[in-house]
Amino acid sequence: MESLSSWIVIRRLRWPFLVIVLTFSISILGMVLIPGQDDQGNVYHLNFFDAFYFVSYMASTIGFGESPYAFTYSQKLWVSFNIYLTVIGWFYGIGMIVALIQDEVLHRELARSAFRRAVKGLKEPFVLILGYNNTTKELIRKLSKTNVRMVVIDRDQQAINALILENYQPSIPAYSGDVLDSEILEIAGVRKKNCLSVVILFETDEKNTKLALMCKYLNKHVELIVRSGSMQNSDFLKTIGVEHVENPFKVISSRLHLSLTAPHLWLLEMWIHGHILKIKRREILPLGHYIIYGYGRMGKALEKGLKKAGVTYTFIDARETSLNRSLSEQNELCREDEIEEKLLSENIQKAALIIAGTRDDLINLAVIALAKKHNPDIYTISRENEMNGMHMFQAARVQRHYVLEQIIIDKTYNYLAMPLANIFIKMMYRQNEAWGEVLVDRIVSKMGERPMLCEIEINKESAYAAYHKLQKGLSITMGMLKRKREDHTLENNLIFLMLLRDNQPVILPDNEYEIKIGDKLLIICEEESKEDLEYILENYYELYYVMNGKESQPGLLSYFS
Amino acid sequence: MNMHKVMSGFFFILAMTLNFGFFYGSPEILAEHSKYELFAAIVVNLIATIFKFGDKTQVGSVLLATSLVADIQLIASASVWAFALYGLGEMNVEATTAIISLSGGALLANFTSVLIFIGDTLKSKR
Repeated sequence: MESLSSWIVIRRLRWPFLVIVLTFSISILGMVLIPGQDDQGNVYHLNFFDAFYFVSYMASTIGFGESPYAFTYSQKLWVSFNIYLTVIGWFYGIGMIVALIQDEVLHRELARSAFRRAVKGLKEPFVLILGYNNTTKELIRKLSKTNVRMVVIDRDQQAINALILENYQPSIPAYSGDVLDSEILEIAGVRKKNCLSVVILFETDEKNTKLALMCKYLNKHVELIVRSGSMQNSDFLKTIGVEHVENPFKVISSRLHLSLTAPHLWLLEMWIHGHILKIKRREILPLGHYIIYGYGRMGKALEKGLKKAGVTYTFIDARETSLNRSLSEQNELCREDEIEEKLLSENIQKAALIIAGTRDDLINLAVIALAKKHNPDIYTISRENEMNGMHMFQAARVQRHYVLEQIIIDKTYNYLAMPLANIFIKMMYRQNEAWGEVLVDRIVSKMGERPMLCEIEINKESAYAAYHKLQKGLSITMGMLKRKREDHTLENNLIFLMLLRDNQPVILPDNEYEIKIGDKLLIICEEESKEDLEYILENYYELYYVMNGKESQPGLLSYFS
Repeated sequence: MNMHKVMSGFFFILAMTLNFGFFYGSPEILAEHSKYELFAAIVVNLIATIFKFGDKTQVGSVLLATSLVADIQLIASASVWAFALYGLGEMNVEATTAIISLSGGALLANFTSVLIFIGDTLKSKR
């Protein structure tokens, strides 16, 4: 038998059952053997049924009275002995059964088999998410809106309870167990064919790498999304075949580089992550000398980006202070004297921009505050290690803050739920600023600053009409799909941003471009134009109208016209 | 010597022998079958079933199944007796044969159970 729970129950019930059977049979036998007296004074014996009936209600303390006739003293003697025997046996048995229901081991076993069944029942493709913390919590919340099925494991039962309370639809099977236990990973479905990817976003690189290796061993076809904090570790993860490595520092560095050299491309990327399609004034980075406080993993990554962008910069090593910490007074929290001294020695009054990039949010805040004290016009960028501190940084009027967790959430969400947008971002990096500016202007002039982004695949499910027309060999161009349903001479507010055919992306396909079955489209649209496009792709008559400029005449009617 | 093995073996075989004792006799005459023997057979069968609880092996599962069959047959036999006596108010031949044949079925299950038990014991090398 595969589940342990029923065996635990049966094994535990051995003694209670044995006690009940023995005590009952002794008293029943006694009741049958001892002679009684009926109402006329004749001697009679209870038969087995009478005895069984009497003992059953005696033992369970229901006590209907003496039956079928009042007992003689010899019977009463036996009964009074039996009351203690059977009642104690009965309570012992019931007590054991109740204790069993509350048993921790049994509960875990039941939860485990329920989880196993739930995962087995998943027929759709799903994503396995390891750990339920701030990062994955937000990720799950976002992904649950896109019909991506998920399975979650976390070591902490409290975290799992919190997840269950969220009551997601469709449900997310969750189980509390050690993620480093390969058996639990297997129960969670790593080896299943429909397990698309595993999301590993713990904070320590060591744990992430270990898990990545384990998952690769268990199922080499599964796609892994792993967080990594350093270049060396990212390289190692790539060599073991991890598909997607999340390095937040690399992301920050490339974004900084992009916003210095090509602000419109930066804007496009941020828009895909939910920013509005307009560069706010406070987001324009100033020219001049940059100071970066902290030369750790983030500092090293930033150096690359800034060097490429051709900016002059100096680093302040934050670590020196932590070495001196034991010498100075220890009760000082963030050693603001030292920070101030260092900032002044690097000429903070003349600098244009300060980046606070240490792993301590408190020090980052102190750096920002002290830099502003000596140079009120300085542009401030800060790193935030935890999402909980977000309001604090907003209150400190930091112009730009990079929340590590938020970056990871956005990136992972894009990778899982909007794969086309993710490819587009990669392709976009090869373009120049002029291209970006033209594109942004075109989008904004057509659809304003808050257009939507959607992805459609040309297949039987999401484009029924187009699929059948294409199968008959008719040609459908991009231009046709853009036409309005009311009037085919007018164009909808719609931009085909990218077309993916056999994994080959085509950026901004023109109106003459013909679509094929299996194409995936990344589209910038509005609520109305999206609805129009969906109708055209799904409905024969709408599609016929936009293709030919006239209504189709179904059935017999077509013979008469 | 395995004490658990002795106990369970004792109860399996006792269940079978007691059942046989009740079953033996003319199937139409109830007087040839002792009610005390039926009672003892039921009790010992229940105990034998409890001894088979929680054995995760394949053989253990089959033993538990045969034992449950014997229990159900014997309890059915006793129920028919009680029903005939109080429900119908008389012991006719039909009820009598039903009681005896039900216990006969239980005897077969007991017999299978003992056979499997002996086979398993012989197979074990320790």
